[in-house]
Amino acid sequence: MSAANAVSVRDVAKVYRRYGRRPHGTLKSAFLSRSSGAEGGVTALDGVSFEVPAGETLGVIGANGSGKSTLLKLLAGIVRPTRGTVEVRGRLAALLELGAGFHPELSGRENVEITGLLLGLTKKEIAARFEKIVRFAGVEEFLDAPVKTYSSGMAVRLGFAIAAHSDPDVLLVDEVLAVGDEAFSHRALEKFSEFERAGRTLVFVSHDLALVAERCRRAIWLDGGRLRADGPATETVHRYRERVAADEGRRRLDDGRAGSRIGSGEATIESVRLLDASGKAAGGLRAGEPASLEMTVRAAAPLSDFVFGFRISTVAGVMVFGTNTALEGLRPERFEGEGRVTLAIPALDLATGVYSVDAAVHAKNGAPYDARADVLRFEVSSDRAGAGLWGPPRRWEFTGGIHWGAGPPPAK
Amino acid sequence: MHPLRRALSQRPLVLALTRRELSARYRGGALGFLWSLVNPLLLLLVYATVFRLVFTPRADVRPYALFLFSGVLVWGFVSAALHDAVETFRANGPLLRKTTVAPEVFPAACVGARLAHLLLALPVLAGAIGWAAVRGSVRPGPAMLAFPLVLVLLALTVFGLALAVSALAVHFGDVRDIVANLLTLAFFLTPVLYPMSSVPERFRPWLRANPFATFFSGVHDTLFFFRPIPANDWAWMGGTAAVCLVAGAAIFERLRDTLAEEA
Repeated sequence: MSAANAVSVRDVAKVYRRYGRRPHGTLKSAFLSRSSGAEGGVTALDGVSFEVPAGETLGVIGANGSGKSTLLKLLAGIVRPTRGTVEVRGRLAALLELGAGFHPELSGRENVEITGLLLGLTKKEIAARFEKIVRFAGVEEFLDAPVKTYSSGMAVRLGFAIAAHSDPDVLLVDEVLAVGDEAFSHRALEKFSEFERAGRTLVFVSHDLALVAERCRRAIWLDGGRLRADGPATETVHRYRERVAADEGRRRLDDGRAGSRIGSGEATIESVRLLDASGKAAGGLRAGEPASLEMTVRAAAPLSDFVFGFRISTVAGVMVFGTNTALEGLRPERFEGEGRVTLAIPALDLATGVYSVDAAVHAKNGAPYDARADVLRFEVSSDRAGAGLWGPPRRWEFTGGIHWGAGPPPAK
Repeated sequence: MHPLRRALSQRPLVLALTRRELSARYRGGALGFLWSLVNPLLLLLVYATVFRLVFTPRADVRPYALFLFSGVLVWGFVSAALHDAVETFRANGPLLRKTTVAPEVFPAACVGARLAHLLLALPVLAGAIGWAAVRGSVRPGPAMLAFPLVLVLLALTVFGLALAVSALAVHFGDVRDIVANLLTLAFFLTPVLYPMSSVPERFRPWLRANPFATFFSGVHDTLFFFRPIPANDWAWMGGTAAVCLVAGAAIFERLRDTLAEEA
């Protein structure tokens, strides 16, 4: 590990074994089996590598069960990696659960001492910091009362105060800000800023993506125990959000759930489908391929005033494209019984992502007969990366003294 | 590093946890620490009454109440420390999972807290011996001075066993019941209620297979008969302590990394 790195994680895997709960688990098998733990084990992390330079604040994001807490426990040395190495340079403090060491029957004073010792402080250091800790937590008057009489907020503040004053070189924080009130979060964040200015290293697990994007220069994203992204915090958060939206979209497709529906019912939309190039209903498409949006409609009574429309939006609600038969200059004459409306798109030049479709049949003045929002979702995939909503066919051209290294060509 | 050394290197923490055990136990009671004196006093009163009025003990263990008292006190330490050790990782699960604490401090604190209880009760025992001496029923001698060493060796033995049972109990729910039953059995297979000399010669080697037997023989030698402990017994106690420490540490080390995951 280079001298500048406070944390170094190399190809780490963590498999939780289950001795006692394994079927037929016996004392004998626990001691004699030298297996890797692959059978019956739960893989919490797999092949994770990253480094944190001293003085950096690293955000860790990911869904529940993605391995974030396991990662912090590995960094803290509470559990050991099944494979790979974890190195942490300097004094470490882990804020995995505030007030974890508190004994409810003991006074705040006694608990400060025990928690301090647990964090690796000496008695002398605890005594020297005692005043500051108590003031930060704001529990001066309750110091000699048992902690069980504290409000949960007081206990949390005291737990944070002890850890924050233990002068760690590396501070691990696991989603502890969520438990306090606004004033506490504010003070805790201030304390973190103080750490940063003092050149300390912070590893910060949070579900508060906005906070991670704002506070951390860099963030990693864990997904199912693997490192999915490692880069500038805003970028990692963005990619994670996209992924969450995509998963949500796919779940919707799987559930067949649809959004809101309004209308007078003079005409109804029976079904909406997305068809791929071969004319089959699809939930996902390749960028640039032909696609058709299709709705089957039924008029309760013959209509002479009718407009059919489609709209494609991102799942976040940004309209990408919308059109209807009136906008396109089609003049309605008669609609009776059943019909099928298809909007064929020769090349769906959308960027990768999940999109949502609205479909409507309404009167020219806009009054809906049947308007169905978010009636289906589809995912667009592509081999080519790119940001934004539009994924046009494209190529790069270069002339002059511009040269490219080996590897895949920059343009296809 | 042996868990004992690791626990010793964390002495302030072990002491703080021991104090926590003690003060949390007596917090909120008007008598507080006095309770650790009341229990043995009451016990002594019961024994003195029962064995004077109901049973007639053998001549060589009279006054029988005094004979019983030392053994029962020390047995209380052994039994309670091991019972506590079985529960300790469950009770301290949050600490284990959420802090970087060295797990051996917990069994160490169990043994420490129960040892402290015993030490707090020793003045009562000393008073009882003094009272018996004044009445002329025993004649205390310098052999008493060996008692602390017996206790140290016993505490090391108990710590070794505590390491093993505390770690095993995390993984195997049966351990608690196994330990409870073995302790009940061991109580009768240990010379607590009777002196080693009343055991027929040919059974004694078998009795010594019970790791506690020789220690209690030593307790009686020092605190009741006031006679020197045979060199053979010292060797046996030392060996027992060493074996328990090594075996307990081996089991503990094997399971150490999994404690925070499973507790």
